[in-house]
Order: sequence, then structure tokens, then C-alpha cells
Amino acid sequence: MAKSRDEQRLELLQGTLDMLILRTLQWGPQHGHGIGQAIRARSDELLKVETGSLYPALHRLVKQGWLKAEWGVSEANQRARYYRLTAAGKAQLSREQDRWSQLVDAIGRIMNPAPESKE
Amino acid sequence: MRPDEDDLDEEIRGHLAISIKERIERGEDPAAARLAALKEFGNVTLTRDSIRRVWRHRWYDDMEALARDIRFALRALLRAKGLAVTVVITLALGIGANAAIFSVVRGVLLRPLVNRDEDRLIYIRQGAPGIGAENMTFSVPEINDLKSRASTINAFGDFSTVDFALNGLGGEPRMIKAGVVSGSFFDVMGLRPVLGRLLNAQDDGPEAAGVAVLTHRFWTTSLHADPAVIGRTIRLGARSATVVGVLEPSVPYPADTEIIANVVTSPHHMGALMVTNRSHRMTELFGRLAPGVSLEQARAELTSVHASIIRDHPESYASKDVHLTVAKLRDQIASPARTVLLILLAAAAVVFVIACSNVANLILARSVRREGELAVRAALGAGTGALRRTLLAESLVLCAAGAVLGIALARPFVNIVARYAARFSVRALEVTVDPSVLWIGTGLAIAAAVLLAYVPRLPSSHAAAGLGLANGSFRITSSTKRRLRVFATTQIACSFVLIAGAAMLVATLMAIQRANTGYNMHQVLAVDIPTQATGVGGANDINFYEEVTRRIGQLPGVEGVAVGNFVPWRDAGSFGPEIPFAVEGYTPAPDEENPRARFRIVAPRFFAVLGVPMLAGRDFTSDDRGTGEPVVIVSQSLAQRLFPDSEAVGRHLWWTDPYFGDQKVLRRIVGVVADVDDESVEPRPAMTVYHPVRQIGAAGRLFVHTATDPYALVPPITHVIRELAADQPVARPATLEDVRAEVLSPDRLNAFVVSGFAGIALLIAVVGVAGVLAFSVSARTAEFGVRLAVGANRANLLAGVLAEGVWIASMGIAAGAAGGYALASLTARFFSNVEVPGVLPLMGAAAVLIGAAVVASLMPAARASRVDVLQALRSE
Repeated sequence: MAKSRDEQRLELLQGTLDMLILRTLQWGPQHGHGIGQAIRARSDELLKVETGSLYPALHRLVKQGWLKAEWGVSEANQRARYYRLTAAGKAQLSREQDRWSQLVDAIGRIMNPAPESKE
Repeated sequence: MRPDEDDLDEEIRGHLAISIKERIERGEDPAAARLAALKEFGNVTLTRDSIRRVWRHRWYDDMEALARDIRFALRALLRAKGLAVTVVITLALGIGANAAIFSVVRGVLLRPLVNRDEDRLIYIRQGAPGIGAENMTFSVPEINDLKSRASTINAFGDFSTVDFALNGLGGEPRMIKAGVVSGSFFDVMGLRPVLGRLLNAQDDGPEAAGVAVLTHRFWTTSLHADPAVIGRTIRLGARSATVVGVLEPSVPYPADTEIIANVVTSPHHMGALMVTNRSHRMTELFGRLAPGVSLEQARAELTSVHASIIRDHPESYASKDVHLTVAKLRDQIASPARTVLLILLAAAAVVFVIACSNVANLILARSVRREGELAVRAALGAGTGALRRTLLAESLVLCAAGAVLGIALARPFVNIVARYAARFSVRALEVTVDPSVLWIGTGLAIAAAVLLAYVPRLPSSHAAAGLGLANGSFRITSSTKRRLRVFATTQIACSFVLIAGAAMLVATLMAIQRANTGYNMHQVLAVDIPTQATGVGGANDINFYEEVTRRIGQLPGVEGVAVGNFVPWRDAGSFGPEIPFAVEGYTPAPDEENPRARFRIVAPRFFAVLGVPMLAGRDFTSDDRGTGEPVVIVSQSLAQRLFPDSEAVGRHLWWTDPYFGDQKVLRRIVGVVADVDDESVEPRPAMTVYHPVRQIGAAGRLFVHTATDPYALVPPITHVIRELAADQPVARPATLEDVRAEVLSPDRLNAFVVSGFAGIALLIAVVGVAGVLAFSVSARTAEFGVRLAVGANRANLLAGVLAEGVWIASMGIAAGAAGGYALASLTARFFSNVEVPGVLPLMGAAAVLIGAAVVASLMPAARASRVDVLQALRSE
């Protein structure tokens, strides 16, 4: 069927979903479906979040106090649960972003070593 | 914060609705859009579950898993009902016995008394164990000396026991036991009244009015807790007293009495003998430690004061052995029961070990059968933890059921054990099942469950190898077989210890029961007809007894009547220690103490009535009276020991105890009778001196030799006595046979309780051996099939299995004998009266166990010999 497109898709790295959700919500409150669509769209369809992972992750973040959930009405006039970043969530996001940059940097050095460091 | 179920549903519904709307807006067909949205979402239920799990506690999952395992275990056990029932009953017996015994131990040995500040309450005893006087009690002059010289004791309380004929509370005249106390007694004991008042210093002295306090037991059982009894006047023998109060429920010590009265109610207590004679001892002594004084300090001071009293009055202490013991009252009350209870506790622990090893065996065998199943689960990814949890769940279910049943069993067990222990400590009577039983039961069950879960071997390491077993057949590895045998051997060993102990007790009891007492046991009725004025004999009493004897002698069916002062065994100890005496022609060496003998008072024909043969000389006659020559009759032992070469009859003896005053009264021996031991139910040679009732005084015990049923004569005898004296109590009629049986009942109960434990142990052990063999036989079905196929004899197979059973039993007996011997020598270090059982009980116990093992092996052996060759070979 749509095998070629599926094969193109990337697996999410373990532990990065929370960060992506927090980052997505930086642009404003959003409901679950919207968050999933946003991640997909911004990754040029390369990342697709399964609802089976997305919703437990959202609830986990609410439980930890990084998100706040409230009922609202979507642009399509549908009642939906909107998630909003809390102050603690913002702090957590910047922590995770830092760690992510360090990780990318470190992995990058190993995978693409600069000529002088090899010497 | 936490979303409810509706929120979850609505959130998911909203997600789908938005998704569908977007697809329709993009131009998809509504039906196709709906399907695509659902497909994209995936499993709704699973998602909802994982959201829910986010909000749960971490241990919720573990509990859920355990709950699932327990449900699984329940279903699995329902398929193995026989095993489950056996395990539960075995554990229940083990847990119930332990919980019950522990309740009693706690109640008797550990719980504090109700007495105020019972930690400061001490009991002081004067004794000379060397001459058979564990408790000599005190005389009034001795108590006065202790009071004036001791500073470590705040206050002393004294208590002496007397029998009163009680009239005035309705019903027939009856004999009651009464405590006679001074006013300080209740304050020292720290007891309170539940009604009215107790006694105080105003009730002391000869001028006070007679007052009495009822004990709680007497008030509730005999008087139906009637509050109107306060203020009633009762007659106690010759005196009267007013009931002033009811004592709170408390441990009756030193004697279980009906009432406690002040000194003036007892003429004897007011007499010169009681007040001034240093050797007239009948009073128990209690004390309260002065503030800041330890028990050891008080003991040291009292001991030195006592030594100085003995130095001041050497003539009042016939033995050098007399010494003082000082103990906390609580310990004093508990001490006789301590050994017995600790032995019972040990027996219960042994039963628990047996029960656990039996259950371990059954579980082990079961887990071997399940090896295939466990292997499959391991291969499918179940971790070691999960497999252990499965096993733990099963043993938890079994042990919980065992504990519940065990706690239910604990109640009747406690009743039996408490009634038994009451023979040794009055405190046992108050023991009930308390909440501690629950904790003990739970604790034991958890211990057993964890133990059992770790007994079986897990197949996880060789999961692949185990898969071959999944089809239902199984093999026993040598390590499993060794474990099974170790458990079975443990059971036999523990059972052997218990059975040998029980056999020893039963053998001792039977030896005592078979022993010839020297009395006519079946046709002699003994009746208490105590003198009216307690302890004071007189001519009137003697005339009364003679008239009673004459009139009862005329009743049909009566062959002989005589009075005496001592019912064999029942009155044991009531006359204190044996009394020193001297005989003419026998001079003790300077360091040798005078010989001692029992002092008894009997009427003419006493020996004929009780069936004791006269060996020489003559019986007393009615001419042996106060004015005539003092005469005595002695026992054979005394005659042989003191007159080994000559005739005892015609010689003289005299009492040297200070109690008999300074005058040396020579008494001529007129007869010798066969030995009888009226103190101990285990007959031993006894030196006894009998006095004629008309020369010494009161008797108080009536013996009637009957031709027919002795008990049929009780009403006419009572009638005759009441005709002569309407207020005369007639109490406790019993044949000598029954008196002895009653005295023996603690021994019988001892043997019964320990035999009960041994029986339980034997039962469990038989189940254990049978289980092990049955299992081993079913595991070897194929082997037997092959052996039969190549021509083995069926009888040989049967013999082989039987031999295996006997082998296990023999190993167990050997281990038990070794362990038991070690245990006996260990306990001998702590308890003085441990006896190593004779050979016969040991052989008997071994025979019983071997027999049981053979019986237990029979069924599996029969099954082995009936193996169907074709079936067995096909199953491999």
C-alpha cells in the first residue's frame, strides 16, 4: 500500500516526544489532534506521532505540572481539550532543549569528526 | 486535575470529530473519512487504558498483577482440591496450635497482674526443701520480727487459709475456704473493691467486729452477683461476720478462697498458740518494696534478717536447711507453669516445623508437575520475578486459608490448653483468645508462604530444556528428590521426638496407675466432716465423732466406719513437713538430724476399714484415751529402719519438734501396720506415726467401708450426720479410687495434651511420607513399566517402594533420636526434672513410626505394582 511513504518516516527517539509536545505548545494552546498535526507538518511529514503515545504523554505532562488542560471549542466548532504550557513547563522545555543541543553536538562530533580532532 | 472517565471519552471523541471534519474539508467522502480517522487513531481502548495508567500509582500495576496471579492460583488450586485441602488443614493445625499456646503463654507468663504497681509487689516464702517442706509458711512471731527489722519493705500483708462452716447465705451449710488477713493485706496487694469496701487497719485486733469480703468468683458464681449481699451477717463456724464488700477479679493467691475475713472471725487466730508460738506456722507473707529499693536489695536484707532470727531462736528451727525466698508475686504465680508452657510451646513449634515441611513437600511435588507449564511461560518471556510471583500467589492463597482456619481452631485450642495450664497457674483461667493470635497467625502464614514460594526450582535458566516437559509428563531430578526426602525425614524426626515424649508420659502414668497403693480403693468412701470450731479439738468433737461412727455403722451395707484426719492424696501437703522424733535406744550421731515421720490421727478400726493390714501388735481401742498411756502405731518402714534387729512393739518414741512443747511425752508403740503412702500417688516407703483420735484431738475425715455401691450411701450418711448436728457440712464424698484419679488428672491431662500433639505430628508425617512416595512412584511409572516389561517381579517393585518408606522413616528416627537426645541434655541444663525416656517408650515410638511409614507406603507401592506395562511405555 503506502509502504514507500511509511518507510520514509522516522522513528521518534526515545524521550523526545515530551520535548516536541512542549515545543509545539510554545506557539499557543492546542488540542491533542492539533499537536499531532503540528509535529507532522513541521517535520515535513517525516515524524508521525501515534495517538496511542501522544495522549498518555499529554496526560503525563499534565500530571507533572508542565501542562494545563482546559476545555475549549475548536475552529471547527468542536468541543476539545486544549493543552497550555505552564511556567514550570517552559522551564522544563528550555532544560530539555539544552540537553538536546548537547546530545546532537556530541553525537555529531562522533559521526562527523573534524580532521584536527582526529590527529 | 485528574480527568474522569467522561473527560477521557469526550477528549477521544473530539479528536476523532476534528480529524473527520478536516478530511471532509479536504474533499474525502464522509464514510471513508470516518474510517480513515478511526484507522489513524488506532486502538481506542488501549489508548484509554494507557492514559488511565498514567494517573495511577506505580504499585497499582504490581497489585493488579498479583491479583491476577491470585485469581489464577485460585483456579489452579480448584483443579487440585486434594492437595489444597491437605495443605490448608496441615497449616491450620500448625498455626492454630502455635497461636493457642502462645496466647496462653502470654496470658500466664507475660501479662501484668491487675494489682496496683504489681512490679513492687513481692512474695516471701520460708522453706526447707531438704526435708520436703517447699513452703513452711510463717508463724506470727516470725512475721513480727521481720516487720520490725526490715527496712526495704514498705508494708507487709499476711494471709492464712482456714476452712469455715458457712451458714447464712442460703442453701445448705457448706464448707468454704477463707483467707484470714490483717488490715494491711489489701493495701499491700493493691486490690480494689467492686462493691462496698475492703478491710483496713480498723478491722484488726480482738475488739473489732467480724467482717468479711467476698471474692469475685464466689460472688458471681454462688451468689449470682447479688448486690444485696452487702451488710448481710453470715456465720463462720462459731463466730459471725458482716459482709462488707466484694473484691475485684484478681488472681487468687496463695489460695483460691470464697471469702477473705479479718482475724477476729477465727478463734484459732486469736489463741495463744497462734499468737505466741514461733513454730506454729500457717501464714503466707507478702510485701511491697519501699520506694527506690530493688528486689535484690530487699532479698539481701530479708535474708540476713531471717538468718538473725534463726540465730536468736535456734530451738524453733528443727532443720538447718530453712531459708527464705523472695520473688515478685507475678513470677511466683507463673513459675510452676513456666516449664510446662515452655515445653508446650516447643511442642507447638515442632508441629509447625512438621506442618511446614509437609506442605513444602506437597508444593515441591506440585511444582515439579508444573515444570512444563512454567517452562512454557519462561519461554514466552515471563521473567524470574513473574514466575516467583505465580508461586508466591499460590502459596499465599494456601497459607491465608490455613491461617484463617488456624485462627478459628485457636479458640477451642486455647480453651483446652488454658484449662490444662490452670492446674499449674491460676492465671490460666483468665486466658482468652486475644488479638495477638491474629498477628501470630498472620506472621506464621506469611513466613510459611514466603518459604514455600522459594522451595521449588525455577526452570527459567533452561527454558528450552524444560519445553519437552510441557506435554504433561515429568521427571524428578536428583536434587528435587533429595529435597523431598529431606523434608520427609524432618517430619519423621520431629514426630519421633513428640511421640517419644508422649510415650514416656503415658508409660509413667500407666506405671503410677498400676501401682499398688495398699488401700482398699473401690469400697471405701472418704467424706470431709470438718470440726465446727476450726482447728480446735475437744471432748465434744470426739463424742460427736464416736456417735457418728456408731450410727453410720448401723446403716445397711456398711461394713466398717472410722474417722481420721487425712484423706490419702487429697489432703497431701496439708500437714506440712514430716516431723522430727526420737526413739529410745537410738542415738543419732552428733551431726545427724533426728529422723522424721508423718503425723496422723486415726480412730480404732481405721486400718481395717481402709484395708491396711496390721503386721504386729494391736489396733487402737476405745480405751486408748486422753487419761491413759499415750500409744502410737507405726508403719513398717519406720519399724524396720529404727528397730532393724528387734521388735518395735513395746518400745517408746517421742516428738522432738518444738511445736509439741518442752515436755517430752513418751509414747509406746503398740502396733505396726503395712506401709501406705498417703502423700504421693507414686507409692514410696513412708515413715508414719498414727495416734489414737481420743488422745490427740480432732479428726474431720470419715471413712466408710461399704459392701455395695459406696455412693449410694452418701444420702443416708449425710442424713445421720445432720440429725446429730444440723449445721455440720458433709463435703466431697468420694471413693479412694476417685480421689486418686482426681489427684492424677494433671498427669493424665499432661499425657493427653502431649499425646494430642504427637497424634497431630504422626498424622501429618504419614501424609508427608505417603505424599513423597506417591509422587516418586508416579514419576517412575515409566521405569516400572520397563522393569516389568523385561520380567521384573511385581512383588519386588512393591517391596522396593515399601523399603523406600521404611528407609525414610529409619533415617528420620535416627535423626530424631540424635536431635532429641541433644535437646534433652540441653534442657536438662535449664530444668532440673528432665528425664531421659526409658528404652521401652523409645522403642514403642520407633515402632509406631515405622508402622505408620509402612501404612503410608502401601498405597503408592500397590500402585507401582499395578503399573500397566503398555500404558507406561506409551506415555514416555
